[in-house]
Amino acid sequence: MKNTFRGGVHPDGHKGLSRDSRLRPFDPKGEMVFPLSMHIGKPAKPVVKKNDEVKVGQLLAEADGFISAPVHSSCSGKVKAIEKRRVLGGGMAECIVIDNDGQFTPFADYTQRLSAEELSNQEIIKRVQEAGIVGLGGAGFPTSVKLQPKNPEAIDYVIANGAECEPYLTCNDQLMRIHSNEIVEGLDLVLRLFPNAKGVVCIEDNKPEAIEAMRIAASDRPRISVRTMVTKYPQGGERSLIQAVAGVDFPTSKLPADVGCVVQNVGTLYAIQRAVLYGEPLFSQCFTVTGEAVANPGNFMVRVGTSYAELLEAAGGVAEGKEIRKALSGGPMMGIAIGSLDIPIQKQNNGMTLLAEDPVEEAEALMTSCLRCGRCTVVCPMGLSPSLMADAAIAGDLERYEKKLYGMDCIQCGSCSFACPAKRPLTPTFKQAKAEIQEKKKREGGGQK
Amino acid sequence: MNTMLNLSASPHVRDKWTTPFIMRMVTLSLMPATLVGILVYGWNAFGIVALSVITAVAAEWLWCKACKKPSTIWDGSAVVTGLLLALSLGPQTPLYLPVIGSVFAIVVCKGCFGGLGKNFINPALAARCFLLISFANAMAIKPVVDAVATATPVGAMKAGEAVNITSMFLGTADGVIGSSILALLIGGLLLWSLDIIHGEICFSVLIGFTLFLGLFGGKGFDPEYLLAHLCGGGVVMGAFFMATDYVTSPVSRLGQFIYGCLIGVLGGLFRLKGNTADSFSYAIIIGNVCTPLIDTYIVQKPFAYRKVVGKTRKTSKEPFRIPKPVIALTLIAAIAGVALSGVFSMTKDTIEEQDKLAQAAAYSEVCPDAKSFTFSDKVQEILGDEGIDQGNAHINACYIGKDGSGNVAGYALSLSAKGFGGDMVIALGLTPEGKIIKISFTEIKETAGLGMKATEPEFKDQFGGKGGTLTLVKGAASAENEISAISGASITSNAVTDAVNAGLEFYETVLKGGI
Repeated sequence: MKNTFRGGVHPDGHKGLSRDSRLRPFDPKGEMVFPLSMHIGKPAKPVVKKNDEVKVGQLLAEADGFISAPVHSSCSGKVKAIEKRRVLGGGMAECIVIDNDGQFTPFADYTQRLSAEELSNQEIIKRVQEAGIVGLGGAGFPTSVKLQPKNPEAIDYVIANGAECEPYLTCNDQLMRIHSNEIVEGLDLVLRLFPNAKGVVCIEDNKPEAIEAMRIAASDRPRISVRTMVTKYPQGGERSLIQAVAGVDFPTSKLPADVGCVVQNVGTLYAIQRAVLYGEPLFSQCFTVTGEAVANPGNFMVRVGTSYAELLEAAGGVAEGKEIRKALSGGPMMGIAIGSLDIPIQKQNNGMTLLAEDPVEEAEALMTSCLRCGRCTVVCPMGLSPSLMADAAIAGDLERYEKKLYGMDCIQCGSCSFACPAKRPLTPTFKQAKAEIQEKKKREGGGQK
Repeated sequence: MNTMLNLSASPHVRDKWTTPFIMRMVTLSLMPATLVGILVYGWNAFGIVALSVITAVAAEWLWCKACKKPSTIWDGSAVVTGLLLALSLGPQTPLYLPVIGSVFAIVVCKGCFGGLGKNFINPALAARCFLLISFANAMAIKPVVDAVATATPVGAMKAGEAVNITSMFLGTADGVIGSSILALLIGGLLLWSLDIIHGEICFSVLIGFTLFLGLFGGKGFDPEYLLAHLCGGGVVMGAFFMATDYVTSPVSRLGQFIYGCLIGVLGGLFRLKGNTADSFSYAIIIGNVCTPLIDTYIVQKPFAYRKVVGKTRKTSKEPFRIPKPVIALTLIAAIAGVALSGVFSMTKDTIEEQDKLAQAAAYSEVCPDAKSFTFSDKVQEILGDEGIDQGNAHINACYIGKDGSGNVAGYALSLSAKGFGGDMVIALGLTPEGKIIKISFTEIKETAGLGMKATEPEFKDQFGGKGGTLTLVKGAASAENEISAISGASITSNAVTDAVNAGLEFYETVLKGGI
């Protein structure tokens, strides 16, 4: 019996483009750009100055507060500047720019396996924190914070997220096929922090090789099991996985830890294994370059700070006779459209999808009024009523949107927009409505003080 | 990279379903009913469908032009509206009515409220009700199929008359163009199996209606009664194609269920207590009007806020589901099979009884002294099930008429002979002594004004009191056993005489010798 959640959609996977391209390292030649904020929380504080010599794995900026993460260099060379550069999302942000010498001289020996037997829980968390590990599934929440819930005994499940429900992306698939033992070791380290938890690796059934590899790797560990999930978007969403594994639904006002779950992406678990057992900070991650406009789609172990444009060249550049119509960081369901490829790859990015045709452009031409057909209600993994929420948001009735329609519980997975036959831009509407409500609350809260 | 790339908010892919696709599927699912309607009711029905659809699309185009808005005719909603309106009109409706109706539906019901998705009542249904109220006489459904009947099946039901459910089910009874229940069910279940219409609505309408009629109809859950009501008056059309209109039905599942039940119950109430056969349309209109209210107050709670029954945590598994298309096909087959066989078995006894009654009436007429008729074993042995040939005619059956005290009061024979226009069936009454009492015709298809004169007293009363073997003469009869032929209809005259002679001979050879 396969596990799944309620609702969801079935976008075309397009995973065949890159799923069998073996994960391979890529060493860039150009300058490397390290944004100080590649995570949720306060930006890191630089500890290097212009013209400083740095090596691979050296600390560039330290965490500023509890919810923050340090930044490490992924190349060796000289600090060229600390300045505002264009980053993902279109805005300018403070970045450390390094002139890459192409030598990749390591700062420390990251090949020596350290002993982890006598490490205390605090030391494990400290190593994760110092390695600058953030959630590699896309959100970029500092992992060390996630590993320190109020009551570690109350955690029932540590869920390793290998669902990779986002269309096009295949790097987690490759990572699980090649580094299954490392991921299982990483999960085992996390399980040490939660004495009563079971480890569950969740993989969609369209990745049989990864399921097999993970099963073999986990076979001698009684606390870890591998579960096959139904291929359905957003199966890899935190809440979808918890629904499927623990059977709990919880509002967005609560965290997974509140319902006894910790969810970690398989990429994050791999980084934890590297950090705790080898002392290697997070400066590279698995990454898929794919899409119809790419000549040779593939999976790479990519260094943080590499530019999207340079990595595209490594994948053979733009396919002959094709033109990039739309470039996405991530996959098409939750990815961010990028206007220019000259921006750095950040820690939490896991792929770029270059589309030769823009489905949104086509959809906008077909847009009609809302038919109230109810498809959005059927597919919403949270059980919301998107068509009514859109009515309220457009009418400016944010009171109804928030209180009566539970609009703040939208996780912006995009399923409603995807399913809408009238091609209404539902998800962006909700994003805006949520932002407005939060803004209003902040204003009112400030006014009272 | 100097080229500007497209930017947009996520998601960046869209499903294949579009508004025109949905409208095309609805149109397609209405095709079986449209075709059956046109085949049964003929060219006028085709004219109504064509005019209605064309006018609806033209009205949509003109309205968009007038409002200086981009044309929306390609979304296909106007075609659906026109088609639905046409299917809910009678086949003899004057052709100006679908035109007026379509314009009303598109301009007044839809355009004036902001176009597709903004109307508060189903345009096709509203147009139908508008026509029903404004053009009551022209809208009355005139019989096409059954020239004798004076009312539609629902009208007949309201008057307490029996109806033929089989023909209602197949769509061969008098009614609106889209009255073939079988065709509507095929289309409706197709839409349901593709998840285009919500089962919460269509099935709750049908269930609500059935339950209400069963509880308050005064006949209990009599399947014949319930089926007759379900098959008539646009209930199936309403449930699958009118009530399920997205725009005018609630969004939440619970809301849809309440809405469906409301329509079903109101439809039942109007059917029982109202004085029109078109009550179901009004029930749906009231449901439409209640939709905004339902949507305001009944909002489904997100999963996270729903009460968990029991303390055990339930994880979602992929349950084994029978695919909806399979269910739909099975349902269609089962419904068709059960309906046809059920209707046959239910009506079989009635039909036989009716036939017997008609025969008994004919026999009483030719053998008035008899209080009751019986069979004789000896005679039955000779005749068998099929009867026997005698001379140029055929003896179908022979009944023995008994008076009040059980004595033989006469004989009644059913005779067939070949006339000019085909077989005629004659009832012949004989006295116990073998003299003709009277003849009457149970079936005759002769030429009007010539052969049909056989049924007039001038000809048929000649037979009274005669016996032996009769001979046919031209002109006036002079002898005791002569019959004067109808001038210009010798074949008919011959056939009648042959039949009567056969009966007389049968008396001589069989009945005279005692039964």
